[in-house]
Amino acid sequence: MPHVAHPAFLVLGAYATYALVGLGMDPLLAGLLLMPVFFAFGIAVYQFYYLTFERRGTDLGVRGIAFFFGIAFIVQVGLILVFGVDQRMVEASYIGTSIEVFGDVRIPQRMIVAFGVALALTITLALYLSRTFTGRAIKAVAQDEGALRLMGADPVRIKRWAFGIATGTCALAGALLIIVGPVDPNLDRLYIGRTFCVVVLAGMGSMSGTLVAGLILGVAESLVLASVGTAWAPAVAFGILLAVLGVRPAGLFGR
Amino acid sequence: MALELEILGIHAGYGAVRALQGVSMQVRDGETVALLGTNGNGKSTLMKCVMGNVRPTSGQILLKLDGVPHDLTRLSTEEIVGLGVALVPEGRRLFPRLTVEENLLLGAFRREARPHIAKNLELCYETFSVLKERRRQLAGSMSGGQQQMLAIARALMSSPKLLLVDEPSVGLSPLLVSNTVTMIKQLKEKHGLTVLMAEQNFHQAIRIADRGYLIVHGEIVFEGRTVEELEHNDMVKNYYLGTA
Repeated sequence: MPHVAHPAFLVLGAYATYALVGLGMDPLLAGLLLMPVFFAFGIAVYQFYYLTFERRGTDLGVRGIAFFFGIAFIVQVGLILVFGVDQRMVEASYIGTSIEVFGDVRIPQRMIVAFGVALALTITLALYLSRTFTGRAIKAVAQDEGALRLMGADPVRIKRWAFGIATGTCALAGALLIIVGPVDPNLDRLYIGRTFCVVVLAGMGSMSGTLVAGLILGVAESLVLASVGTAWAPAVAFGILLAVLGVRPAGLFGR
Repeated sequence: MALELEILGIHAGYGAVRALQGVSMQVRDGETVALLGTNGNGKSTLMKCVMGNVRPTSGQILLKLDGVPHDLTRLSTEEIVGLGVALVPEGRRLFPRLTVEENLLLGAFRREARPHIAKNLELCYETFSVLKERRRQLAGSMSGGQQQMLAIARALMSSPKLLLVDEPSVGLSPLLVSNTVTMIKQLKEKHGLTVLMAEQNFHQAIRIADRGYLIVHGEIVFEGRTVEELEHNDMVKNYYLGTA
């Protein structure tokens, strides 16, 4: 079941960071502190989904997606009601400065920070998934729930935990999002297409593939943005998505 | 540790289909018991009942550990695995997009097995050297015989006391079936296991069984207290071997 509310949680993470920065906190610290809160929130959302849909076997087909679209809309409208529709951004010492690489080439410091933290987060997640019992069970639960039961693991508990972790990362990722640029409540729509693109390009379940696919998409979007125009940027994700599905449906790094 | 599995009058089915009709049988400590029968007679259903995957409509499945009875019909699959029961399922049910080693480590998920993980992994690699060579390979990319070895090894990673094996011969060549069955016997002796094996390949099953039951249309029609009794029984010949 594609979790289409994930980008909405990302934007929620950005706004939660914004709120804490308003109290005088550093955005990165805010993102880190919000992680356990978002983890608990994710656990609660999954439990609600499990009790109302999955346990009754009514999560199949379009209904499960509808549930998550509903959650995404609630988050979106909630953000509009609280923060309004205007764009929001944060201040920090590493925002608005840049580092000279050579000659006229300068890299904004906020981009370096975001890249470094995102890389660290991805590596931590990859290690967690491959080195711990629960991590391996998370990878296995997507492949065969019945077989995982035979290993003595409860698939529902594993999925709830995985959902908690995924939502927890939204807190820090949201902080990075608002560090990189201004955020508005409808930003999540852009990320639904991007998420599909990255997942398909990477191939299901490949962490290193996800990292590379994210880079490819980011660079491709920037190139189109600079050469063709801003209006075409959102088309890049779906363009790549269609091309990959047509040429190599298993993804670049699909197993 | 004394172990005994007692199945008492189990009825089970899927919707209107009645797969098991009052099955009773016993597996005692250290035995290898064969559950014989051709396809569609309820062997796998019985295995699933023991593992808590299928709930019987009536009857009891008692696992006695040191005299303490546990009614498996009231426990979840996870709890049953936690008691030390492992199933090598029909069709193997590996995690195809995980590596061989990741599959094995998942086998050791239950808490009691985790302290023995290094020892068990070494034992598995010692027994199945091909798994060691291919430990970084994806399970789904291996041959059927290798996958069957991995499925058995994965079950052993949980340090089971009772090992259930469901149709180890399905999809394997005759030579591989023979090897697999021999392997189960060796592992059983090495680990002091108690084994219940459902198998349609009569000749292979009785090679390693101490005794066995014949199941036809969801009912135990014959109990052979020895392998000889099974081999010379008219019902077995008639229903099963077609040589009466």
